[in-house]
Amino acid sequence: MSTVLAFFKKPFIRKYANYFILALITLVFGALSLSGSLKMGNQFLLEQIAIAMLLAVSLGMVVGFLGELSLGHAGFMCVGAFLGGKVSAILVPALGTNANSILVLVISLLVGGLSAAVFGMIIGLPALRLRGDYLAIVTLAFGEIVRNVVMNLPEQLFGATLGLETPRFDRKYLFIIALIAVLACLAVTQNLMRSKHGRAIISIKDNEIAARAMGVDITKYKLFVFTISSFFAGVAGVLYSYTQSRLQTPTFDYNYSIEILVMVVLGGMGSINGAALAAALITFINFKLQTVLTGNLSVLQNVIYSLILIVIVIYRNAPGLKAFREKYNLAVLLQKLKGKRAETEEKEDA
Amino acid sequence: MKKLLAIFLAVLMVATCAATLSACNKNSDTIKIGLSGPLTGNAAVYGNGVANAAQMAVDEINANGGLNGIKLELKVMDDVNDPTKIQANYSALVDWGMQLSLGCVTTQPALEFKTLSEADNVFFMTPSASADAVRSESNGYQMCFADAKQGKAAAEYVNSLEYTTIGIFYQSDIDYSKGIYDEFKANLSSSITTVEASFTTNTSSDFTQQVAELKNCEFIFMPIYYTEAALFMTQAKDEAGIKIYYGCDGFDGIESAEGFTISAIPQKITMLTHFNSKATEGAAKTFIDNYTAKYGAATLNQFGASAYDCVYAIVGALKKAIEEGKTVDADTSASDMCEILKEQLNGGYTYTGAVTGTGTVKWTSDGFVNKEALAQTIKEANG
Amino acid sequence: MNFLTALFNGLSSGGTYAIIAIGYTMVYGIAKMLNFAHGDIIMAGGYAMFTTLLLVGHPIPALCVAVAFCVALGVFVERFAYRPLRGASPLAVLITAIGVSSLLQSLAQIIFGAGSKMPLQLQVSGALKLGAFSIHYNTLITLAVTVVLMVALTLFVKYSKVGRAMVAVSEDRGAAQLMGVNTNAIIAVTFGIGSALAAVAAYLMLMKAPSLTNTLGAMPGIKAFTAAVIGGIGSVPGAMLGGILLGVIECVSLSIPAIAPFTDAIEFAVLIVILLVKPAGLLGKARREKV
Repeated sequence: MSTVLAFFKKPFIRKYANYFILALITLVFGALSLSGSLKMGNQFLLEQIAIAMLLAVSLGMVVGFLGELSLGHAGFMCVGAFLGGKVSAILVPALGTNANSILVLVISLLVGGLSAAVFGMIIGLPALRLRGDYLAIVTLAFGEIVRNVVMNLPEQLFGATLGLETPRFDRKYLFIIALIAVLACLAVTQNLMRSKHGRAIISIKDNEIAARAMGVDITKYKLFVFTISSFFAGVAGVLYSYTQSRLQTPTFDYNYSIEILVMVVLGGMGSINGAALAAALITFINFKLQTVLTGNLSVLQNVIYSLILIVIVIYRNAPGLKAFREKYNLAVLLQKLKGKRAETEEKEDA
Repeated sequence: MKKLLAIFLAVLMVATCAATLSACNKNSDTIKIGLSGPLTGNAAVYGNGVANAAQMAVDEINANGGLNGIKLELKVMDDVNDPTKIQANYSALVDWGMQLSLGCVTTQPALEFKTLSEADNVFFMTPSASADAVRSESNGYQMCFADAKQGKAAAEYVNSLEYTTIGIFYQSDIDYSKGIYDEFKANLSSSITTVEASFTTNTSSDFTQQVAELKNCEFIFMPIYYTEAALFMTQAKDEAGIKIYYGCDGFDGIESAEGFTISAIPQKITMLTHFNSKATEGAAKTFIDNYTAKYGAATLNQFGASAYDCVYAIVGALKKAIEEGKTVDADTSASDMCEILKEQLNGGYTYTGAVTGTGTVKWTSDGFVNKEALAQTIKEANG
Repeated sequence: MNFLTALFNGLSSGGTYAIIAIGYTMVYGIAKMLNFAHGDIIMAGGYAMFTTLLLVGHPIPALCVAVAFCVALGVFVERFAYRPLRGASPLAVLITAIGVSSLLQSLAQIIFGAGSKMPLQLQVSGALKLGAFSIHYNTLITLAVTVVLMVALTLFVKYSKVGRAMVAVSEDRGAAQLMGVNTNAIIAVTFGIGSALAAVAAYLMLMKAPSLTNTLGAMPGIKAFTAAVIGGIGSVPGAMLGGILLGVIECVSLSIPAIAPFTDAIEFAVLIVILLVKPAGLLGKARREKV
């Protein structure tokens, strides 16, 4: 254990610890899945976690780093899902391959991601004029418009009320691909935020006027962040389309956007790992609540989830609880455990 | 933060691994039936109606000795009418040991359920998911009429009447209503002109505008669910221009909608149905009385009646299979169960129960139900 | 004629949006938070009304009970869910509000079940005939209530001591506190007023369309939020204007069959266009950011 910890303390490793951990997880579960010993439910759970991580990390760029509130992330996901899904639905029969064709997957990921990115840039334009909650409502409106229009287009296009039938990737492999996409997203986000461009973006959040005075090109950076963020939302959408037999527009309503926002806020504003972690945790909790509380108990799912939400947010953010927080938190608890363990180890040594 | 991340992920990994390696719990002595439906959210009234009625059927059968001595067990999962939740529900049901299922209550999740269950060859008979695409040739059946068939039957009925103008009121963003509407329009005689008004889930709380659109139509076709229909009728009860409402099986249960007094509606209400929720005799009445006594009238609807019948129809088919020498018990695998039931249903098994009225139900091998559609008057116009 | 009918129906549903939006906007102006649970206060008011109707059977006591219940609920939620977060990031408060919203909806289903309730006693029948044209009494009542409430609130905010304290808190909370204004009490009063308006909105909604479920307030809440933003969030007349505008657009769009399915998209598109032209809403004050 101590050698492992020492390994993670090396500066280079430390800097990229999240990649290593995520890659390790991908390898372990990938191996389990390929050997056939991973249960179906866990494959689904991992798919959902990976998609949630993509969404949370990409929304985190807009909300956490750029400091703009967006309530329309599911809208970008919707664009990516339907356009990417349409491409794969056309290409799979056209090329005569099966649904597991990597080529089709890559093409649809690109199409979905890029088309979402275009919409991201368009929505980024009002962001240049609007601030705070006004921008929030515009993004929310965008998400609802996309959903409504997609549903009411002719059935041959996106399937109208029945939804668009999309190929379904073998669940044995899909979560591995999704986790690799998360790694790519982490790499892009993290390197961007650690570069001078990232510093410029953060300076916009802290003080737009000061940033402009220092020569930061606000227009460029705002559009850039919106574009990149929606690109990954689109990618998440395409991956989602591969997990479903049909894409349905009601999935992408504003409640979904809010759920992603919750992940970002719980993870801590401006923390990439935090967002990813919170995404995993929330997806995990919801998955477990859903499968454990069934029948008449299912109405308790939301009660428990919302209570957890309220308590966590108040605990983490309430100014009045600062002293309490410093006294009782995970780090202190771990320190205590560690201290105890050290003591016992010493005793054993003696 | 990173340490936290590492610790959390390690815990997650261990937990998931433990779950992965834990043995499959197949050591019980009941036949396990799975179901997924919206127990919370916008469509909760349908999900709860189905869940209650199915549970009632299971309890009754168990009290009468089960399936030749083997008890049934029902597990209902909540899907909030969201297809995204089906993966988790389906896998949890499979882990639980589901041998056969009632599929999903609503169409959109049902489409996802169908794909998953097709791959594993798990039998389902959905009480209420009515889109044509829901049933499957390999493993899925419907107890309710498919939307397209209802739309066509309704159009034929309307063509036989002598109206030159009719009103249509439908919900544009759900498949049930839109599916019937499309088929109805396609089959409607071209000499009949239509006045149309629609709503969406987001605009379903107030129909003032739609009432104003349709108030001069003597005959209004409404392929919608009864909650919205009851609201429309309540809002339009002063409109003397409207004489007759005509609906599909979504109208079923309208007179028991809580707080809705159907006698206060002056218009005549008719529908195309397979379940008579105002039945005064027979299996339908028994079902209604028992259900109301146990769960109250708030969630009583034709979906529940269908679910009740699904359970009885499946058990009946299994009994027949046992008589023919098949082995059906708590250890029968889901796939074997599916083959046994398919053989019965495709082989001309007939069933009579609560939702079938006086006729009997048969299934065709592509999963469609074949039964008599009743044109029924729920309420005459007030004199 | 058709258009005129749609216009009047729009005024009526817009009036309801306006009342909800005023609640939104007042809370926003003073607490600087988006109260996503506002729509669910409406729902709670609806159930309070329904329960009273079962016991008493008359709409007026039902309305009074609902108002009292909503005020208590609003102040309670503010005290235990939002006040601990005063001074924290606005996003944290937003998330708590979302939690409260989903909690209220679940509790309502646990208590009252999933079926929809129809409080028919609230219905008003009959219409005012003007030649060939008729206006339903519902519409007139809604409009009258909206106008009276808006005038009363504007006067209250302008001339009463509490109202002026509210303005002071919304302008600069710190300075108001230094001048001896009890900000906590003022914020609680604002939540109380907003919730009372929600109860009135519940009454108007159920009067027109008697169908009560635990998601009664969700979509009207979002629409009212949109209305508040159109009018300029923080401004009471703005919320009124935004609400009416939204209602009219909705009904006119619903009255044209070809575009009726696109109603939601049209409403939100209008919002975007308005905000692009006037970034602070129709009547909002554009604030210059100081360094």
